[in-house]
Amino acid sequence: MTAAYAVKDLKLRVEKIEDVLAAVAAGDKDVRVNSETEDDFSGVEFAIDLLIDDLMDELDQKEKTQKEMEKKLATIQQQQQTIRQQQDDLLELSSPVTKVWDNILILPVIGTLDSRRAQIMMENLLDKIVQTGCTYAILDITGVPTIDTQVANHLLKTVTAARLLGGECIISGISPAIAQTIVHLGIDLSSINTKATMQEAMKTAFLSNNHKSSELNHDEEESPREMK
Amino acid sequence: MFESANVVENKQIEGFSIESELDIVKARQLVRNIAKQLHMGIVDQTRITTAVSELFRNMFQYAGGGEVLVESGVHNGRDAVIVTCIDHGPGIADLDSAMKDGYTSGKGMGFGLPGAKRLVDEFQIDSRVNEGTTVRVIKWI
Amino acid sequence: MNELAANRKIPIIKIKDFLIVSIQVDMHDRLAIELQAQILEELSRTGAKGVLIDISVLEMVDSFIGRMLSGMASMASIMDAAVVIVGMQPAVAITLVELGLEMPGVDTALNMENGIAMLEKRLESQSELYKPNGA
Repeated sequence: MTAAYAVKDLKLRVEKIEDVLAAVAAGDKDVRVNSETEDDFSGVEFAIDLLIDDLMDELDQKEKTQKEMEKKLATIQQQQQTIRQQQDDLLELSSPVTKVWDNILILPVIGTLDSRRAQIMMENLLDKIVQTGCTYAILDITGVPTIDTQVANHLLKTVTAARLLGGECIISGISPAIAQTIVHLGIDLSSINTKATMQEAMKTAFLSNNHKSSELNHDEEESPREMK
Repeated sequence: MFESANVVENKQIEGFSIESELDIVKARQLVRNIAKQLHMGIVDQTRITTAVSELFRNMFQYAGGGEVLVESGVHNGRDAVIVTCIDHGPGIADLDSAMKDGYTSGKGMGFGLPGAKRLVDEFQIDSRVNEGTTVRVIKWI
Repeated sequence: MNELAANRKIPIIKIKDFLIVSIQVDMHDRLAIELQAQILEELSRTGAKGVLIDISVLEMVDSFIGRMLSGMASMASIMDAAVVIVGMQPAVAITLVELGLEMPGVDTALNMENGIAMLEKRLESQSELYKPNGA
């Protein structure tokens, strides 16, 4: 008697389990068999519900971990950005631009000159030229042994941009190795104003400066600009 | 015509059309402001603004106008501003020549594309004759 | 003395022998061309020998504006006048170089003072040529 009863509902109950599992596969997290019967088969129904519970727990756990990782990734990216900014700030501090005389700026560069540093130097120098109104800027790279093509391009860019602004950028202290790099790049050296030493560059700038100012004062009573 | 920009976590999206010269001015102001808000360095701001100015002008002059989409978000792991210009104009028949410096299609189109490309970090272009052109430029923050 | 060119969208002022134009707005292409025409007209009308164009407020100079400026320099030189661009911002200079836009024939100065000095020097050396007996 009991066996026949069990079999009659069994088909329905098996179908219910199939439906529940299909719903779970489709994404329904809350569906369960929830059998209200208590017999030999209900053990299976109960086990299936427990299985689904475990599965859902695992999925939740995975989602949580995923979210945490995304958060961590965002934090790391932000930190990278901060580090980049700090590096730039350091680079800026390490290449101070000094004003000498009336109208002449000097930027001595020491150590490795990489693309990023060259970029920062360029912006720094051009900003200073505009801020101070100094027409001459001397970029001294005596302390730089070699440069790559990217940096050479940045230097050329600095000179060209300075000219566009209405100033003049002289590069001094070019080592033979660097001279080779520049020439190999096909850069026309005559397009850059270069001097062997910083002293010569300063002399050139100073002379051009005084030449200019003495011409201006040509017709005036004032004495030529005094040397500071 | 274009794969999506692969932007994760879009912080901002603005879309508008370019139908007049005044639109070009407004559009580049918008791009500048977005870049500024996102703390892009001033030189980079100028670069992206100038680059899109070239693109907007091209679009207006050769296609009579078009649509612009400005997005900001994370692209390939970096914060970036992405500007996409879409027009349904005549398209560029010889893309290779157009991307070479100094190329003129009789109307001085030369500067716009190669110049803009130099100013940005990533440059994508897709153009089909009689269908239109889509240009996308990406500048990291 | 000072002439304020009326009815101009961008004011053109005459000081001594020179015109001074201060570009304060983000120009669209047509406005740029109009400005070019206005400046040439003023040059012709006043006989000024030089134009100082102040772009210290301009945050962007693209290829069109750049070509407008060099075009203006050429046209002005035909009228025996010199053009000096004054006050370019560093970011603009860098971008122009990267764009590959050289502006041949365009003189630049860091500020108005230098620009005027440049023009005066040019005028002086020009008039030297015409001094009798090289005095």
